[in-house]
Amino acid sequence: MPEAATSHAMPQVGEMPEDVLISVRRLKKYFPIQAGWMKKTVGHIKAIDDVSLDIRKGETFGLVGESGSGKSTVARLMLRAYDLTDGQILFRRGNGEVIDLSDLTDRQMRTMRREMQMIFQDPYSSLNPRMTLLQLVGEPMLIHGVGSQGEIRDRVAELLQVVGLRPEYINRYPHAFSGGQRQRIGIARALALNPSFIAADEAVSALDVSVAAQNINLMQDLQEKFGLTYLFITHDLGMVEHISDRVGVMYLGRLMETAPTDQLFAKPLHPYTEALMAAVPQPDPRGNRTRKRVPLKGEIANAANPPKGCTFHPRCPYAQPVCGTDEPALRAVAGGRQVRCHFAEELTLTGVTT
Amino acid sequence: MGNKTMTRTNMSPERLLDVDNVQVHFPLREGLVKAVDGVSYHVNKGEVLGIVGESGSGKSITARSIMRLLPKRALDAGGRVEMQLRSGEHFELSSYGRNSRAIRQVRGKHIGMIFQEPMTALSPVHTIGSQIMRTVQLHMGLSRAAARERAIDLLAKVQMPRPEQLVDAYPHQLSGGMRQRAMIALAISCDPALLIADEPTTALDVTTEAQILELLKQLQSELGMAIIFITHNFGVVADIADRVSVMYLGRIVETATVDDIFYAPKHPYTQALLRSIPRLGVDQGRRLPTIPGMVPDPFSVPPGCAFNPRCSHALAGLCDVQEPPEKRFGSQMSRCHIADQFAQEPVHA
Repeated sequence: MPEAATSHAMPQVGEMPEDVLISVRRLKKYFPIQAGWMKKTVGHIKAIDDVSLDIRKGETFGLVGESGSGKSTVARLMLRAYDLTDGQILFRRGNGEVIDLSDLTDRQMRTMRREMQMIFQDPYSSLNPRMTLLQLVGEPMLIHGVGSQGEIRDRVAELLQVVGLRPEYINRYPHAFSGGQRQRIGIARALALNPSFIAADEAVSALDVSVAAQNINLMQDLQEKFGLTYLFITHDLGMVEHISDRVGVMYLGRLMETAPTDQLFAKPLHPYTEALMAAVPQPDPRGNRTRKRVPLKGEIANAANPPKGCTFHPRCPYAQPVCGTDEPALRAVAGGRQVRCHFAEELTLTGVTT
Repeated sequence: MGNKTMTRTNMSPERLLDVDNVQVHFPLREGLVKAVDGVSYHVNKGEVLGIVGESGSGKSITARSIMRLLPKRALDAGGRVEMQLRSGEHFELSSYGRNSRAIRQVRGKHIGMIFQEPMTALSPVHTIGSQIMRTVQLHMGLSRAAARERAIDLLAKVQMPRPEQLVDAYPHQLSGGMRQRAMIALAISCDPALLIADEPTTALDVTTEAQILELLKQLQSELGMAIIFITHNFGVVADIADRVSVMYLGRIVETATVDDIFYAPKHPYTQALLRSIPRLGVDQGRRLPTIPGMVPDPFSVPPGCAFNPRCSHALAGLCDVQEPPEKRFGSQMSRCHIADQFAQEPVHA
């Protein structure tokens, strides 16, 4: 089952460069496929296969990919909402201690979640409609036994103000708010325990453009104010380019490429990254008319039965015979980048230019 | 076959559809919501009209009123919708009842519709083949065998792999992109003159979206049909539309050719929306320019220009009092008191 060895210049277990907040190493998550009345396991869906990435303190790491690429699963694994099949998640706590989250029990993990939080896509289903803002935003404090009733109320009022909602709304229910405001309630809730790391899973994807822009600006302000580190998951390349310092591109449970944002968009090294960028229709009719856009053929493969060799090769316009037989490793290349392609050095791919 | 040849010939020959001052209201406990408050647009034969706007702006409801498919609690508060085919047939759609025989002759035959979520629009208990067959048997009077043949042809036309097998597939057996193709096949099954596409690519991944847009463009030029393409995505509209209408709070605030909308917008709302989208390869600085405030709730639409409280150009005493007229600059229309000002200083995107 293990794939070809991944060569990555990463330090030993337990070691992490000073500036890194969270480091994921060779992460794997296989979901069993069960069949028959005995629920016998007949195979595995490799939802995440060998993902390694570092997120530095105070940066925004963007994770892009199509649905089914495993980007949300990575975030959920990092917060241990799922148990991992294999790999390590190293996290630097506020006191400087580095902890491998993959070893922790549920009880130990609970204390860690004070420092790591998540914001979800759908502000309609992620807030309990029967709870007031006080209960919703104060819930994390209640669970972690932080503060008295009065202190919680004060803190919730303060948090509402921080995210741009009026503290007078404290006794209202979520139905009284628009989608953008609900997303702010979710943000306030994530901030309640002063985390250092927030995973935002498609946090603005469901919002209208003008509301999305407001919330993105808010998230950036909060990052500056509280020194937050973000994992920003989205399928919107324009948004990821705007908000991220570095970007990882996922396809079929694997990381295909990571790079600093401007380098990735100026010169992608993986054919999938190029195809993804070419597919985005730009708000520029003249440019769209002149830009050559050959839509990527076919669809993302079945994760239960991924193609042999490079998982992208059946759709890759540059595929060579070797791509169908040998799976390329995620390897470090110049400029602090990583890429999973046999021909990364030979290919000259087109990024976005204006 | 209904009252299709009512002769009213003030539609110019290149016109396919005329939507004139359509109003749709929703009487709710909290008050009357004017979801569509006097919307007028036209679609020429074979052209793609893009309709953009944020959620709640009334873009889908207007399209539904063309099909006479308004929700039951909606109040049809006036307006006129007319359609004229290449054959000269003329329909006054606004005079037809929701379930009338006349509208059922038009729906599915002359107007096809595709939606955002094909899983809810297609029947889950019938194969895609039988859904297409039923439509063509009804409207084109084909036999079972001929209808099945046509269904397979249509699936091939929308570039479904293995159409002979997938004709017997149920929607749940297909991926999102394939379901959308099946719905397009169903919508174009009777060679409609007009296709209404309501956010057809919103739920799809970018690579699938690019495939579907390419397919729609190809079908459009092949079949010569017109498309009303509703979306909130400016990138998509720039890619597919010939002309664009921008909606805000139940009204059209600007209509123009796609180039004018993107390179010389003459309504502050259009300008502000275009500025707030992060663009690939363009560094817009750390902060995105935003529109202050939020869309007001539909029970208390501001007097004067509905956009005035959020508009950076608003003039006190004018914009908050008087409703702006439709100002025309060639083919471009802007509902803004000071649109002339933008005509002099073209905004470059």
